[in-house]
Amino acid sequence: MEAVVVDYGSKLLKAGIASPDQDPPYIIPTKMKRVLEEGEEAGGDGTGNDEEVMVDTVVRGFVSDWDAMEDLLHHVLYTNIGWEIGDEGQILFTEPLFTPKYLREQLVQLMFETFNVSGFYASEQAVLSLYAVGRISGCTIDIGHGKIDVAPVCEGAVHHIASKRFGIGGVDLTNLLAQELQKSNPSVNIDISDVEKIKELYAKCASDQIEFEKMQNSCPPEEHTLPDGQVISIGKERYIVGEALFQPHILGLEEYGIVEQLVSGVSNVASEYHRQLLENTMLCGGTAAMTGFEKRFQSEANLSASAIRPALVKPPEYMPENLARNSAWMGGAILAKVVFPQNQHVTKGEYDETGPAIVHKKCF
Amino acid sequence: MRTHLSGLQTSLSRFKLNLGFPSPPHHPALVPSGAPSMYGGDEVSAIVVDLGSYSCKAGYAGEDAPKAVFPSAVGAIDQMEVDSEANPEKEADSTQDPKNSAKPSDADKSKAKRKLYVGTQALDYRRDHMEVISPFKDGVVVDWDMVDNIWNHAFRQRLLIDPTEHPMLLAEPSINTAQQREKAAEVMFETYKVPALFLAKNAVLTSFASGRSTSLVVDSGGGSTVVAAVHDGYVLQKAVATSPIGGEFLTDCMMKSLESKGIVIKPRYSFKKKEISPGEYKIVDLDFPNTTESYRLFCTRAIAGDIKESVSRVPDSAYDEASYANVPMTSYELPDGQTIEIGADRFKIPDILFNPSLALTIPGIEGFSDPASVKGLPQMVLESINRCDVDIRRELFSSILLAGGTSSMQQLKERLEKELMEVLLVYLFATSFLNIYSYFTNFTSWINNL
Repeated sequence: MEAVVVDYGSKLLKAGIASPDQDPPYIIPTKMKRVLEEGEEAGGDGTGNDEEVMVDTVVRGFVSDWDAMEDLLHHVLYTNIGWEIGDEGQILFTEPLFTPKYLREQLVQLMFETFNVSGFYASEQAVLSLYAVGRISGCTIDIGHGKIDVAPVCEGAVHHIASKRFGIGGVDLTNLLAQELQKSNPSVNIDISDVEKIKELYAKCASDQIEFEKMQNSCPPEEHTLPDGQVISIGKERYIVGEALFQPHILGLEEYGIVEQLVSGVSNVASEYHRQLLENTMLCGGTAAMTGFEKRFQSEANLSASAIRPALVKPPEYMPENLARNSAWMGGAILAKVVFPQNQHVTKGEYDETGPAIVHKKCF
Repeated sequence: MRTHLSGLQTSLSRFKLNLGFPSPPHHPALVPSGAPSMYGGDEVSAIVVDLGSYSCKAGYAGEDAPKAVFPSAVGAIDQMEVDSEANPEKEADSTQDPKNSAKPSDADKSKAKRKLYVGTQALDYRRDHMEVISPFKDGVVVDWDMVDNIWNHAFRQRLLIDPTEHPMLLAEPSINTAQQREKAAEVMFETYKVPALFLAKNAVLTSFASGRSTSLVVDSGGGSTVVAAVHDGYVLQKAVATSPIGGEFLTDCMMKSLESKGIVIKPRYSFKKKEISPGEYKIVDLDFPNTTESYRLFCTRAIAGDIKESVSRVPDSAYDEASYANVPMTSYELPDGQTIEIGADRFKIPDILFNPSLALTIPGIEGFSDPASVKGLPQMVLESINRCDVDIRRELFSSILLAGGTSSMQQLKERLEKELMEVLLVYLFATSFLNIYSYFTNFTSWINNL
């Protein structure tokens, strides 16, 4: 039986049977609504309806509501993927950087005790994203919905000391955009989920700081019709979303832009690795798929205060288009093909013998 | 075995640290009193914290390397001129919630109005009026409020744990006063409410990390060098030798030496690259008048430290100006693109460890407060061993361990061996048993399996 790979993110959960050069078959939002009357929860679409309680299963990359997670996984594994109760297979999870130990243990416990899987493995998203582009060393910049991870990886091992994690992500950019739109369209009432869609449609990255400033002063506005019929105009706001990643003070943070964070992170690694790390930089995550982001990243990289300029990795041709968004899942699929046949995963027997702490010994 | 950090990380992440060493002598076991039995099996989720004068290392017990390593220096902005917030805010990264139940230390008003920034990310960002200060003075903690912040940052922002659920192991200096230990215990139990605490001496931990209960530990760290004899898991207090020469001092020497040759090291925040035409770049100086001198020094030292680590080599024999005057230069590229050539300094700076008076020849370096007491490494080793019982000296000589970041300098082990051999011939001991081990040097006192 093939292994299943699950990549849960703050916005979307990607799951499916491990097939390395394909997109994940099931991409489901992790936002769920709790239906209060019957005391049950329904997985799947979050409609943003005010009468039901909206639950964020995954917050900033970490699971925050375990009941919701259990229901979501139940839906995915038994309904979507088609596992049968009593005949569960092996599962591989991805996890963000700096996952606290107790969260990993809880996940392993959930999988073995509630779902009764036969094998379990967990790996960090940074490493998996690099596997997806065929490398074992390099830097990953994972700009997700809830968090940003900057991680140098040497030969499959994340360099924790040099890695950075930021608790900002797509959701904060959406809020920023909502604020800006509200300022320029005061009469229109815009819902957050609509702003999310607008962001995905219109957000762009200016090609450099000078152009950004030019756009701030004068930009041709475009008209957009909201689902409820209202019309809003979007002009310079579309650029501010991308700019916030390079100038975090727009979001109110006292930090340097993403390229500087990468360079300063890598400078904490021994110098012989710098070239290998910087020249194999991978951008992944939903937000990194913004129009113009890669180009801007490259031009900022040329201006960075470093002898070696960060260079972006070119994904292989046989990989699908949406590699950046789903690279962690795809890397997981690749890893699953290696780990499970070689019995490097945690088996039910080992779990029964040692307990949840086995995950720290076997999965790193 | 390569002792460099990243080499360590990769190689050790692939094998479990199981040196098969003899079980350590019986120390009071780490028993969490009344803690829930969630530890399962023999897995103790203890946290190990080693706060040194240069960097703080923190992580889980049983792992190969610490999860969090960050400078012990802290950025501080005095709030008195700025806004008048009454409550002291202890914020590190602006991403997490501030810790709630923080007690301001003592009734010192001026300390309470200070905003502290801990950790590499927070220190990297240049802020107006931010001073860089250290909780240590001459190797001893003087500012416990800062230490509290540093520990808080380690637990809540780097390790993401709740200290009330984990027993703590604190590494302490080999010579520590009762007052310091009491204060550390006080902060741990009262502020963090840890379930259990153990204080272990650095030298003992280093010894155990290499699988020995008796050894001579040469710990050359950032702030100082300490040579301590460990016998059966206990430090022989009378046999501890210290010297104020450490990595930071050597970095200062490097910095002053380069400055005297007219090389200007520009800190990272003070310039920006501008593209004047495709492929051609120009450096533009940025002016930040409100940057404090201590911050500028801190950034400059970071660069000088990297220069020191990349080019230094301990010379095979004592350094003297004449013979190293024509040594081939190595080039190093500074962050602003300037390439500098370093020649004799490559050998001079590390030799200060063996011959402290060399430092005085560098313009700008002040002398030591008590020059007679500052000795070179070989003298310290001999002094320490001579103060031990005759019976154990042989065992100590045959297990000399090098620890600390500075001891990972190239050729240090070989030079120390050579210097000690020369002296030992006088002792009529067979010189074949002299063994110096150096591995895991950055984190030895951290790696422990108690």
